[in-house]
Amino acid sequence: MSKYLNLELKEINKLLKERKIKPLDLVEEAFDNIEKNKDLNAFITLNKDQAIKMAKDLENKEVDNLFFAIPIAIKDNICTKDLRTTCASKMLENFIPVYDATVIEKIKQHNMIIIGKTNMDEFAMGSTSRTSYFGPPKNPWDENKIAGGSSGGSASCISARLVPLALGTDTGGSIRQPASYCGLVGMKPTYGRISRYGLIAFGSSLDQIGPMTRNVYENAALLNILCGKDEKDLTSTRREKEDFTSLIGEDIKGMNIAIPKYFVTDIVEKEILEKFNNTVNLLKENGCNVEYIDIDYIENAVTLYQIIAMGEASSNLARFDGIRYGYSYENPKNLEELYSKTRQIGFGDEVKRRIMVGSLILSGENAKTYYDKALRIRDDIRKSFLKAFEKYDLIIGPTTTTVAYNLTDNLDDPSKTFLDDILVIPVNMAGLPGLNIPIGFNKDKLPIGLHIIGNEFDEKTIYKLASYIEKTLNLNLNPKGGE
Amino acid sequence: MDKLSKEEVEHVAHLARINLEEEDIERYRIQLKKLIDDIDKIKDIKNYDEEMLITPVTFHSDLRKDEIGSMLDYKEAMKNVPASNGNFVEVPVMINE
Repeated sequence: MSKYLNLELKEINKLLKERKIKPLDLVEEAFDNIEKNKDLNAFITLNKDQAIKMAKDLENKEVDNLFFAIPIAIKDNICTKDLRTTCASKMLENFIPVYDATVIEKIKQHNMIIIGKTNMDEFAMGSTSRTSYFGPPKNPWDENKIAGGSSGGSASCISARLVPLALGTDTGGSIRQPASYCGLVGMKPTYGRISRYGLIAFGSSLDQIGPMTRNVYENAALLNILCGKDEKDLTSTRREKEDFTSLIGEDIKGMNIAIPKYFVTDIVEKEILEKFNNTVNLLKENGCNVEYIDIDYIENAVTLYQIIAMGEASSNLARFDGIRYGYSYENPKNLEELYSKTRQIGFGDEVKRRIMVGSLILSGENAKTYYDKALRIRDDIRKSFLKAFEKYDLIIGPTTTTVAYNLTDNLDDPSKTFLDDILVIPVNMAGLPGLNIPIGFNKDKLPIGLHIIGNEFDEKTIYKLASYIEKTLNLNLNPKGGE
Repeated sequence: MDKLSKEEVEHVAHLARINLEEEDIERYRIQLKKLIDDIDKIKDIKNYDEEMLITPVTFHSDLRKDEIGSMLDYKEAMKNVPASNGNFVEVPVMINE
């Protein structure tokens, strides 16, 4: 079997233009990869018949953009017309969307080929993808380890080189944390950069779709086509069109970089801190000015996140009532029983816990004690970040406090899943862009990631630094060593 | 919160419209208590500003024109309905049940 999909997109694009390969070659290779690696459980639904049909339809079309005929995997909380979208839940086990999310329309306009829908935590609630109704995806670096979450299936399939591109979503680290655990590039863009229309909502003021890729350039290029104002999402932002790849490869000399002191305390494993410090030294040696700073209330970000995310989730998931779509309890005595038994049976434990706590947070006087107060402190966190960006170009830290842990570890503690994201959650609180770039491995050959945070709408500068680190470290990020 | 009673768990489950079996209540009680202890930490935070951040984007008056656009076809919209009768979505009897 040929290995065209291991080539960079620019090379694949050249081969397609020269008619040396056909779109069908790429699609067949992707499904062959998925079949050989089905133990990874990276996909919930495959789009095989449609993908093959589309590949054949594209055969005689002009290769008009970098992404033409490139296989892409889509996280299963993004609606795809006529292709099952489950959110990894029994509740939506048989749900077939009747419209495409705006990002899917953009992907189709660029003639990318959707290969399938990737595994995830149920309704994106979790940090390990183990809350999936369809069983957890696995980490290609060690199949006994978690792939992270909630975009664990997308991370797993990019890491294992099953397909070159995937979409993830990030409410509290769900793109960057699995990207760190699996050793790939994952970007959560600025809140408002990408339309959320057609993304099944979890925490509406936090959710953002983003690209997950093997390298920095392809990540930036994919973001180029995903972003933009959408009339169907009021929170999407109208901006001048820009090219996120434009600063890639530029010299980093003179960049001002800050490290929040909280990101390098003893909550982070020693091996991760070592790799992080090596990277900091590399940046200093190459002319960056690096300083340590404080961000107000950063140590409270997880608490605020729990309140805001669970509160918003309880409201968003009220729509699952067994009436209009999704699982429905059969032969209920009355409407109340239809609601409560549909939700008892249709949702998994993690989702039910979060809805219940969220309902409590938003009820009566509690709304003031918890939700209102969280929003006020959230404002302080954002202001503190924005103030830091008056002086610094970027903020960095480790992406995670540990490397990927065993699939069987930490199953009993409902707080643990929030703590896994302690270093990435502050970015969602502030609505800023953040990216994971691999910076090495621990002694067990498990990936370690660097988190680069940018000012709002300044993804370009993040890609500039990330590309420098990628080029300088030149890590082999293929778990099978590039076979 | 000092403790979470069985009745409080049942109340929260009712608010959330989630039925709990008797044998599951204690398990949920322990787990919810843990999460509520987490979020209770917010009570210790002092000296914050009064301004709220409801969403991290700055809204401009950027609403679309009030015109009828493309709408979902009725048959399409009904495709995922679990129980329907002709043109209607079927629900259990709500009056004089």
